Amino acid sequence: MKLARLVLLISLLAGPSLQAATTVVRGPYLQSATPTSMVVRWRTDNTEASVVSYGTERNQLTSTAKSEGIVTEHIVHLANLQPNTRYFYAVGPVPLMPPANPNAPVAAKKAEAEDAPGRAAVSSFTTPPPVGPAKPSRIWVLGDPGTKNAVQKAVRDVYYKFTATRATDLWVMLGDNAYPDGTDADYQRAVFDIYPETLRTSPLWSVLGNHDGKSANSLTQSGVYYEVFTFPTQGQAGGVMSGTEAYYAFDYANIHFVCLDSHDSDRSANGAMMQWLKADLAATQRDWIIAFFHHPTYTKGTHDSDKDNDSAGRMNDMRAIFLPVLEQGGVDLILTGHSHVYERSWLIDGHYGKSDTFVAAKHVKQKQDGRADGEGAYRKPRRRTPNFGEISVVTGSAGHASAKPVPLNHPAFYLSLNEAGSSVIDVDGAKLEFTFLNDKGEKRDWFTIVKE
Amino acid sequence: MVGPAAEIGLSPCPAVGAKSAASCGTFIHFPRLAGSLGSVRCFILPWRACRQAITALLLGTAALRAHPEIEAALTRLNSAIAAAPENAELYLTRGDLYAKHDAWIPAEANYLRAAELAPLLPGLARARGALALSTQDFHGAMAHLNQALELSPTDAEAMILRVGAWVALGNRSGGLADLEAALKLLPSPGPELFLTRAALHVSPADAIASLDAAMARIGLAHTLQLRALELEEAHGHVDAALRRLDTLARQSERRETWLKRRGDLLTRAGRHAQARTAYADALAAIESLPDWLRDSPDSVALAAELARLAAPQPPSSS
Repeated sequence: MKLARLVLLISLLAGPSLQAATTVVRGPYLQSATPTSMVVRWRTDNTEASVVSYGTERNQLTSTAKSEGIVTEHIVHLANLQPNTRYFYAVGPVPLMPPANPNAPVAAKKAEAEDAPGRAAVSSFTTPPPVGPAKPSRIWVLGDPGTKNAVQKAVRDVYYKFTATRATDLWVMLGDNAYPDGTDADYQRAVFDIYPETLRTSPLWSVLGNHDGKSANSLTQSGVYYEVFTFPTQGQAGGVMSGTEAYYAFDYANIHFVCLDSHDSDRSANGAMMQWLKADLAATQRDWIIAFFHHPTYTKGTHDSDKDNDSAGRMNDMRAIFLPVLEQGGVDLILTGHSHVYERSWLIDGHYGKSDTFVAAKHVKQKQDGRADGEGAYRKPRRRTPNFGEISVVTGSAGHASAKPVPLNHPAFYLSLNEAGSSVIDVDGAKLEFTFLNDKGEKRDWFTIVKE
Repeated sequence: MVGPAAEIGLSPCPAVGAKSAASCGTFIHFPRLAGSLGSVRCFILPWRACRQAITALLLGTAALRAHPEIEAALTRLNSAIAAAPENAELYLTRGDLYAKHDAWIPAEANYLRAAELAPLLPGLARARGALALSTQDFHGAMAHLNQALELSPTDAEAMILRVGAWVALGNRSGGLADLEAALKLLPSPGPELFLTRAALHVSPADAIASLDAAMARIGLAHTLQLRALELEEAHGHVDAALRRLDTLARQSERRETWLKRRGDLLTRAGRHAQARTAYADALAAIESLPDWLRDSPDSVALAAELARLAAPQPPSSS
């Protein structure tokens, strides 16, 4: 009895301090980056205010941004930022005051800011450059990563070693980010626990996959996927305003990204997503157009784009309905996942049927391997030219490759591999270089597109 | 497809040969109700003739072989059901899994089992309503969805599903009431729901007003503005249509196609001088593009057409 009273007394006394010891259990992570704004999100185990302290010097986080309410799910919009500028930031319930001694040595000031009691660690991000002019850009692409297993971690670590100190300007998930059901717990373990460093330093963009769709609904914009992510619905990151996070666009330097919902939005030729896509493609002035969505237009991996019943016809829809519009709009690169393999096409155009209707002489626009150190890079005119050809890449093995043998014999592909891995895109002005790294750290494919 | 469903955009499935693993019938796709809610593909099931197959599927003895990605989930559920065969929620979950993959027969069988065990299980009536819509049993769907909303009056998903049933039964106003109620409940509905709401209005003025209300709520989403423009044009509201075109042009980095459309609209309205000004503005918009866009084949073709349209008309010979 005495012991029970003692425990009660201790808990009463300790209560307020325990209450104050709020822990960040998710993030921080970066969303909806534009040259002048960034959304910072994080989750705490207890409710508290949402404050981001930030500045361009690690030890001078003199600006603050807040959002209303006392919450556990924190979403703070940082506005009026400078383009292409590195910002340091910390999240917490109160503004992080500047260090007491501004004249202290840099190392001491850094330690002071990072080690202040009750403060979250200081992280940093670099805002996107002004839209339009070229800037060397690195993009990490992960398809179907969310297995939570050793393969996912190996793929991650290979990329980290590959990129080393080169910053990742943005990263893209092609759906099925969190197996098996895209629940909040799945997202915690498959995304937030796996990539904490990249999440707090590089803005993440995504499209909905079928496994994410088990816990989300595009029509109502509800469910875990839509709660976890903040994507631009108002065209604020570039492109035409879609009004939905299910499909949207954004610009980074001289690249225009088009993100489509191949899983849960209307894929009909006169549907809202198609109307928006046509307007968006017609409006962009960027040099490069990269489209990404979950369901591949062509695959002979763990899915078969020739089978009408595979994925309830979604691959057919994306190939027969959306691909012609993308090609007409001058798309350069199409990234998809869903099939847990790596498949990469030649520079192709105009193939909207089953694989047995693919005619290389008709559909392959350039027959070389696309390698600057091989048969030569793919070359496209800089002036936007409809139907000049695009590279289609299925890179859906960031979490696992197929455990069983798969055909890998679609004739649209130059190369098909049943290997786990992720892809890297480097854009430098008129040159786009693409690399596929497998989970063993091997560079298994690469190609270059040059605009001239 | 004819009748009220077609009028609001419910149409035969455009998917190229989309048939499910379990299918041998006709699909109808409800594009305005896309998604897991309203991926309402309708399939006439001869399921009473297939009781043996249903039993096998209910017990998980026939996995969806055409959908390897769900085999693992199915295996987990089968094991859980084997361990707790009286757990109605597990049957509901397994039914949902089948339904998400358009396997209506085993979905129905699992829902029926769940209903036997727990008739008032949360979410069950809604799931059965969705399935009934999928099998074109609209009266059955209405009954299940009524029950779902009696049990949970703020279930927006059930309301949206019931819109499909109302419309299929020819009752637009019922559908509109449900959709309005659902939109009030949803924090950030997508534009498709607002387009559906506009389509349910009989009066064009009401439809346009509903689109304006939607844009006041979620922003000037392109598809909503475009639909409003189409309605204004179709009903001869030239100046209102011009204002919407101006908004669309301001939202676009490339204004030339919207200015061309402005010129076309003015031409149809007999306002030729204004039309030529619009065409000239479109031409100027092309001229202001960077050369690599100005010289693209599309731009070159459009510029040639605009130059012709913007040219002063020769005086009439009469």
